[in-house]
Amino acid sequence: MKKNQIDRVWRWQITASAAAALLIACLLGVGFGPVNLNFGSIIRTLLGLPNGLENEDRTLLLELRLPRVVLGALVGAALATSGAVYQSVFRNPLADPYLLGAASGAGLGATIAITNGGGNLHALLPIFAFLGGVLAVAATFLVAGRLFADPSTLLLAGIAVGSFATAFQTYLQQRNSAALRPVYSWILGELTVANWDVVKWAGFYILIALFVLIRISKVLDALMLSDEEAYSLGVSPQKIRFIAVAAATLATATAVSASGLIGFVGIVVPHLVRGLTKRATNRSLLSIAFVGAAFLVIADLGARTLLSPAELPIGVITAFVGAPFFLFVLRARNRGSQ
Amino acid sequence: MINIENLSVRFDDAEVLQSINLDIPEGTWSCLVGPNGAGKTTLLRTMLGMQPYSGSIKYNGREIAKNKSLNIAFVPQRPSIPAAMSVAEYVMLGRAKLDGWGKESAHSRNIVHEMLEATQLLGMQGQLVNTLSGGEMQRVLIARALVQEPEVMLLDEPTSALDLHHQIAVLNKVEEIKATGVTIISTMHDITLGAMYAERIIIMQSGRVLLDGESQSVIHSPELRSAFDDRISVHLLENGRPVIIAAKRAAGLEQGVI
Repeated sequence: MKKNQIDRVWRWQITASAAAALLIACLLGVGFGPVNLNFGSIIRTLLGLPNGLENEDRTLLLELRLPRVVLGALVGAALATSGAVYQSVFRNPLADPYLLGAASGAGLGATIAITNGGGNLHALLPIFAFLGGVLAVAATFLVAGRLFADPSTLLLAGIAVGSFATAFQTYLQQRNSAALRPVYSWILGELTVANWDVVKWAGFYILIALFVLIRISKVLDALMLSDEEAYSLGVSPQKIRFIAVAAATLATATAVSASGLIGFVGIVVPHLVRGLTKRATNRSLLSIAFVGAAFLVIADLGARTLLSPAELPIGVITAFVGAPFFLFVLRARNRGSQ
Repeated sequence: MINIENLSVRFDDAEVLQSINLDIPEGTWSCLVGPNGAGKTTLLRTMLGMQPYSGSIKYNGREIAKNKSLNIAFVPQRPSIPAAMSVAEYVMLGRAKLDGWGKESAHSRNIVHEMLEATQLLGMQGQLVNTLSGGEMQRVLIARALVQEPEVMLLDEPTSALDLHHQIAVLNKVEEIKATGVTIISTMHDITLGAMYAERIIIMQSGRVLLDGESQSVIHSPELRSAFDDRISVHLLENGRPVIIAAKRAAGLEQGVI
């Protein structure tokens, strides 16, 4: 640090480290499982070099593990980034991506698909869950009265819409007791449905949403201030808030419809990155996306291998590993600020 | 020079500012005074471009709402304090309009350093803003406004959360800022303090400007008492300086030496 200058708020090295963490996580994710694959061969196969994997191993890598790891990374990035954005928009460190009814709406949509889907369940479920999530958040804005509603009104409207959707979902479950188990398993989150088709459509929406959020990430810092302060710094907070919530909702609804309700990523990862880097700025958003992706890929690796050949729901892993780690970071940060 | 002409602001059916006309010269300190609900904060918010209005607010001949390059700093009465943000990071936000969001030039980091020093915050730059005392936070807000290098600085009740010692420290700092040519407009509940620092007092009531003029003449005016329903009284100190205090009941013309 030069004399007469304060330290930089953000450094590119932090983002680069997060990207490296994601790469390592992905390599571990495709390498380990009931059958372990050689890392050298994996890299050669992925780069199209000679002496790569062959036969079953090649199929295992390209058709099973890789789409699953890519979907895990996409969902993790979507949930972590949306969580961070919601926390800035609602000026609430406990805000998560499911706050405005996206989760309850998606849950209701999925339950409708499961209870009425017949044989073609998995084809319908993501579409119903996606529509449920998006419609619930749209209803939240409608109940709140206007597009540029203030954060606390939106929050309360989100709670009301979420409760209504959950009540309706419970009613449907009670009427179709056979659906209880698949709904429950979906609620705990799963990446078992991953294939390249799911990756393609989920990737399309999630990458669009993430692109928008990363583009506006620097201005998002203004939302942590009062509206008057944001205006004095040249930002119209209502517009930014609306764009941010819309993009975060698109990412969340897509993630939920592809993999069910995976909890804790949206809260833990933003705090983890901000705690470790000791920076609150939204310039950390890209790093949060990378770390969220890495976190979910590793969590999925745990879900696949810990009770192998059986699988644990990934939501159990994210909470089981995430909660103690989160508490550790929180404690370290509080100690640092005293 | 700020020229406000025939400015009106409506919230739904209510007209919260009515036909305001003011001329505020550059490099002066004007203090908005009046009871709660008089429209003081709305006037500040309108100047920030937050409120649709009819009439005009011009800075050096250009309408404020259309002048994106005009830098108006705002020091809020109740700031929204982000969790886990350091003092340096928070003050650096003040450079956002000049540098572009997310950019931090070496020049900006110099200025932030300089202003932290000027507000006696150097050494606290790594501390989290949500752990600061009221007086420290006020200094941080002033530092952030200063790094904005503003033409105009709006302060909403800058001293309301502070003890006497810190009130004077903050107001002295604002006076120094004014001396550099920045136009200061503040709201203040403490009219005595307002008159001590601002050369000009603007009395507001029910969305209108009742009186606007040189501080010492305004505080002796019947309009000031009428704005507060005659529930204030003006006393003169031995050195001739006026002190305005709340009266228990409508006092009429009560003046004396204390």
